[in-house]
Amino acid sequence: MTTVVLPAVPSLGGLYARGAAATGRLAVARRVGRAPTDLPDVVHEVRGVRADADHLTEYQHLVGESASDRLPAGFVHVLAFPVAFAVMVRPDFPLPLLGLVHVANRVTQHAPVGLGDALDVRAWAEGLRPHRAGTTVDLVAEVRVGDALVWRGVSTYLAKGVRLAGRPTDEGARSDFVAPQPTGRWRLAADTGRRYAAVSGDHNPIHLSAVSAKALGFPRAIAHGMYTAARALADVGASRGDAFTWSVEFAKPALLPGTVTVRVAPDGDGSTTFAGWDARTGKPYLTGTVVPL
Amino acid sequence: MAPSPRKTPADTPTTPGTRRALVLGGNRIPFARAGGAYAHASNQDMLTAALDGLVARYGLQGERIGEVAAGAVLKHSRDFNLTREAVLGSALAPTTPAYDVQQACATGLESVVGLANKIRLGQLDSGIAGGVDTTSDAPIAVSDRLRRTLLDLSRARSVGQRLAVASRIRPKDLAPAAPRTDEPRTGLSMGEHQALTTAQWGITREAQDEVAFASHQRLAAAWADGFFDDLVTPFRGQTTDGNLRADTSLEKLAKLKPVFGLGLDTPATMTAGNSTPLTDGASTVLLGSDEWAAAHDLTPLAVVVDAEAAAVDFVHGVDGLLMAPVFAVPRLLARNGLTLDDLDYVEIHEAFASTVLTTLAAWESAQFGKERLGLDGAFGSVDRARLNVHGSSLAAGHPFAATGGRIVATISKELHRRQQAEGRPVRALVSVCAAGGLGLTAILEAA
Repeated sequence: MTTVVLPAVPSLGGLYARGAAATGRLAVARRVGRAPTDLPDVVHEVRGVRADADHLTEYQHLVGESASDRLPAGFVHVLAFPVAFAVMVRPDFPLPLLGLVHVANRVTQHAPVGLGDALDVRAWAEGLRPHRAGTTVDLVAEVRVGDALVWRGVSTYLAKGVRLAGRPTDEGARSDFVAPQPTGRWRLAADTGRRYAAVSGDHNPIHLSAVSAKALGFPRAIAHGMYTAARALADVGASRGDAFTWSVEFAKPALLPGTVTVRVAPDGDGSTTFAGWDARTGKPYLTGTVVPL
Repeated sequence: MAPSPRKTPADTPTTPGTRRALVLGGNRIPFARAGGAYAHASNQDMLTAALDGLVARYGLQGERIGEVAAGAVLKHSRDFNLTREAVLGSALAPTTPAYDVQQACATGLESVVGLANKIRLGQLDSGIAGGVDTTSDAPIAVSDRLRRTLLDLSRARSVGQRLAVASRIRPKDLAPAAPRTDEPRTGLSMGEHQALTTAQWGITREAQDEVAFASHQRLAAAWADGFFDDLVTPFRGQTTDGNLRADTSLEKLAKLKPVFGLGLDTPATMTAGNSTPLTDGASTVLLGSDEWAAAHDLTPLAVVVDAEAAAVDFVHGVDGLLMAPVFAVPRLLARNGLTLDDLDYVEIHEAFASTVLTTLAAWESAQFGKERLGLDGAFGSVDRARLNVHGSSLAAGHPFAATGGRIVATISKELHRRQQAEGRPVRALVSVCAAGGLGLTAILEAA
């Protein structure tokens, strides 16, 4: 496996531009039968990443965390994910960037990460596999402070309609969601996508405005999945402890502005289950758990 | 000063080495519906009016009171010294110290408890507890982003920096931010939270309307009997509680449309009739030691015996937002060797009719008693004839921080009256639920 050491965390904006171009090239290549079918055997690495206090505060306030000197697990994702994203825009990445859907995310926080810590980020793609609606891939990022693995994130993306590796084997239909008794409600303002874009760097047009979202097939702008997941993690509160796994599955996108009815409640064994849904239709936006290690 | 050891009646549980803290009286202004008679009166105006009424009633002109403690739930930042400013505007001696208290709807009761504790310890000989709230003159703030930008602007050094900061202001940042009654951590209003609890405990619409009806009937009877004549001072043309509907009936209450719990699986039951309305008002309670009461020729009405606060994790749906008193009262009574049957009066603040009913239902549930309260079975039942005997917040209205003072003054007078009539110890429980999953409860006993 090749390790590519990047001088700094790349900007997602620039990556989107490269990704759009790569998507076009990939479409042409696929037509002539020269498209890559395997994941690139490469690890991207950035060393010595540090959080900025103002950036951290903006993030914490936006998702409902106290502005402590400890980095929320979702903020580490913001810092680390562009390194993984850079893998997705490589010419040898087999899935088209445009149209990739973030369907699940799993973070393991092994130890607290502080504001002054220097983070070494390594990221790669793995687990290319068939899905009933196309092909999924895991983008993995690992964060170390010194030699210690402190954070590991696995972001699962779906390329709809892309068939690379045969038929799905083990994935059945999604289990039916039954709306539980709510514990709260998030009112998502029209600018929610723009505000999360400002702190996450993820300026994907589907999050920014109704016009830009329409151009990509959505009726209105949609909330970033990781924004809703981060709010759920904030709602869990201190019971999550220092080390935990934070897993989320994204069902349907939350249109902006909009209202998400939520339940964030302990399971009685130390873990917390959360869900956000549309109270009118009963359809889920996201479901997940936070389980102490 | 050192506490002077004194003999207390054997029936009054007191901590060794402390003395009794007495309720000596109270005064409030009539509570007015939001946008009514007090629409243009400020918190400070109303608290001063309630204080001055107390001063006039008990001859405290020019008196240096040990300390005045009061607060408001909806408070403008300029009112950082609301209570001290009200004291300076009152007929009390300007040398009377004061401090602000804020514990959401428990503010008034917490003011009573805090001052009573200082009196018991001998730090104070006298105190005035109070509370005030206006929803008509509520503070309106600028948006968070405008506020941050303005603060950054004030810190900017150069013209360039100032221009850069100022350019961040967007038109929508200029929209004012009205105070919200939503719970910050859940985004649900208090009514929506209580609707979940109401559904969880299966409280019926009829039962809630009966609580509301009884509240109006009893408050109206107390006004008609002149019970409030020495507890209330008219203000701005308001002579009785503006929300009181003496002529309401169960039929009228049954016609009102539900307003909370509309999106739940169960039928919505909470209406404007069985929920408290937004209200303006202020209340005060005069507290003192036996010596101070004797020196001022004041009749002790009640002893502040003990208090217990509780809180629940409503954020994660473990308990209902307004259910904290359900946990506080068993702890409070156990510490004092009492049961619900030992109480002659039970005052449960009627945030909603269903708050009273879910509280009673939890205490009557054997399962809840065992699993949540750690008891052998159900905590117990409250005889409805002892509950909110002169009506409560559904009829009187609920100016958040003023409710505790209203209840303490009312029930202290009733305790004294009952003891005079029957010549035996008489006790009351006061229970107030509050935003943030808080609850504060206290035991009062006829002095």
